Amino acid sequence: MTARQRDITLCLLFSGLAALLPLVSDVRYTVTQTTFFFIWATVVVQWNLVFGIGGIFSLAQMALFAIGAYTTAMLGYYFGTSMILAMPIGALLAVLFSVALGLACLKLRGPYVALLTLCVAQVLYLTIVNDTDCFTNPPSGCMPLMGGVRGFSRFGDLGFRELLGSGFYVGRYYVGLAILTVAMIVSIIVIRSPMGLAFQALRDNPVYAAARGMDRFKYQLWIFGLSAFFTGLAGSFYAVNTGAVGPVVFSFSHLLFLLSMIIVGGVGTIWGPIVGALLLMFAEEAMRELGDMRDIGMGLILVVCVVLMPRGIVGLFEDLVRWRTARTAQAVPLPRRETV
Amino acid sequence: MSASISPPLLSCRNVTKQFGSLVAIDDLSFDLPAGEILGIGGPNGAGKTTLFEVISGHNTATSGQILLEGRDVTRCSPVQMCHAGMARVFQLNTGFDSLSVRDNVRVAAYYGRRNRVVPGISMEPAVEEAVDAALRDVGLAGSDDCLTATLPVLDRKLLMLASALVMKPRLLLLDEPVGGLTHKEIDHVAEIVRRVAATGVTVLLIEHVMRFLVQLSTRVLILHHGRKLYEGPAAGLANDRDVVDVYLGKGAGEYVAALTAGDAQHVG
Ligand SMILES: Nc1ncnc2c1ncn2[C@@H]1O[C@H](COP(=O)(O)OP(=O)(O)OP(=O)(O)O)[C@@H](O)[C@H]1O
Ligand SMILES: [Mg+2]
Repeated sequence: MTARQRDITLCLLFSGLAALLPLVSDVRYTVTQTTFFFIWATVVVQWNLVFGIGGIFSLAQMALFAIGAYTTAMLGYYFGTSMILAMPIGALLAVLFSVALGLACLKLRGPYVALLTLCVAQVLYLTIVNDTDCFTNPPSGCMPLMGGVRGFSRFGDLGFRELLGSGFYVGRYYVGLAILTVAMIVSIIVIRSPMGLAFQALRDNPVYAAARGMDRFKYQLWIFGLSAFFTGLAGSFYAVNTGAVGPVVFSFSHLLFLLSMIIVGGVGTIWGPIVGALLLMFAEEAMRELGDMRDIGMGLILVVCVVLMPRGIVGLFEDLVRWRTARTAQAVPLPRRETV
Repeated sequence: MSASISPPLLSCRNVTKQFGSLVAIDDLSFDLPAGEILGIGGPNGAGKTTLFEVISGHNTATSGQILLEGRDVTRCSPVQMCHAGMARVFQLNTGFDSLSVRDNVRVAAYYGRRNRVVPGISMEPAVEEAVDAALRDVGLAGSDDCLTATLPVLDRKLLMLASALVMKPRLLLLDEPVGGLTHKEIDHVAEIVRRVAATGVTVLLIEHVMRFLVQLSTRVLILHHGRKLYEGPAAGLANDRDVVDVYLGKGAGEYVAALTAGDAQHVG
């Protein structure tokens, strides 16, 4: 079994296990919170492709997420588009936007990419909240084109209420699980394919990569486009799942929360983002009662992780495995270098 | 008669490279016919690496022309040069540090030989076989899973060679391939280069280690301040006043004289 087959099998196994949760737990809160975990895990798994594998410090992921969410909400609100159709449209729009952003970032390095992508997100945010002109005037009050500070609600549903009655949230749970599973499998395939190798090579040494036939231009656009699809789709699903979309999706503290998931779990590793998302969401849940102390607690976790495990939990695990194989290899010396 | 002869594999015509007011390469012309091993020497800062940069497309010549089999490639990008059949091995220890030894060679094998319009989901078996062969050729078989960042100096140099060779280049550019290696290790690398050249690959190599340069090169070019100080057989080096004065010095001059006289065993 290749590493790729192993990872995909593991992923399907975990998904299978996760699929059992609504059957064994009838606590609605647990199920809906896990649905949110699927959404955020999808976002960080795809963000990891850009940030971890490609080494491009883009902070545009929440803007892409917002594009997916807003497109879906607006299509439903203004045109009554079915959510099944509106969701992939939102995802595709996020892809287009991301590719354009990738073009804009082509000549930039490191922190400048972070600045530019953050600025773009801010411009989107400000455009939305500063728009006070009424585009339509429904009974509920003035509605700016993109919802203004209020945002959108009642724009559509996936139809689980009719189908499942009071258990509708279970239907959404499985949609979320399906999106995360596919996003994860795509991420595994990309990382463990020639394309993922090119991303990593360009991250490690762009000048040398060019001398080995890898074009930075081409692969930067690929990586921006690829990672945007599921990010946008996660946004679309978030809109449908919460039934409301507002400028809060641009929140900077939430962006940092997601970034911390990748860092704690292991930047550039296959399983790191998911592990990080799971851990930090559990931690946040556990500290729910603590009020303001919660932020301090989260900060503390981040600091401890960065200091003790610079490569994250999964990175540390990989290092340990490597170290052990190296030790066993030393114990049984192999004829290493043949004479030429 | 000579008009019907095919053009040299590589040809530099009046190449000049300036960095601001600094002239790193000054109106340099030379031809490299296929099958040769041309050794380039010269003091630090002579412009040797800059010449490689300009040939490999990492830097563009300020003026002059570079021809590959008669085709003008002066303004080609490194990726285009690579696909045109040129493989450059860098002076410093370059590698994709976070990748394994095998993956380093695999990317080169996959992307280095031809332009991949849409990269595939997995590598063809032929690519994996080429990787095996390249690792075996340089003597790195069995180190497949080692992390590149942790490799010792020799292995890094061998890895750089392997990832260049796996691209099946027609022209191989080596920038100080044995700098910092021991005598035995130098012989190991020399043997690889000799074998590669025997398969018809044309080699352009920069080296300060005279033993390596003199023994491998079919012809030698010495640069000084970006200009050609000497061009000809290695045997002529020790008799050239300029080369001895500017580059070799008296002691090394005698050493090179002994080397070229086929007396390498005694002085080695
Ligand atoms: N990118 C650059 N910008 C400005 N000056 C440069 C640049 N690259 C090289 N130089 C200068 O050009 C000259 C030639 O440098 P080059 O690296 O080609 O020398 P070299 O012959 O390879 O020397 P060495 O034997 O030390 O490797 C040096 O004076 C160097 O400082
Ligand atoms: Mg140099």
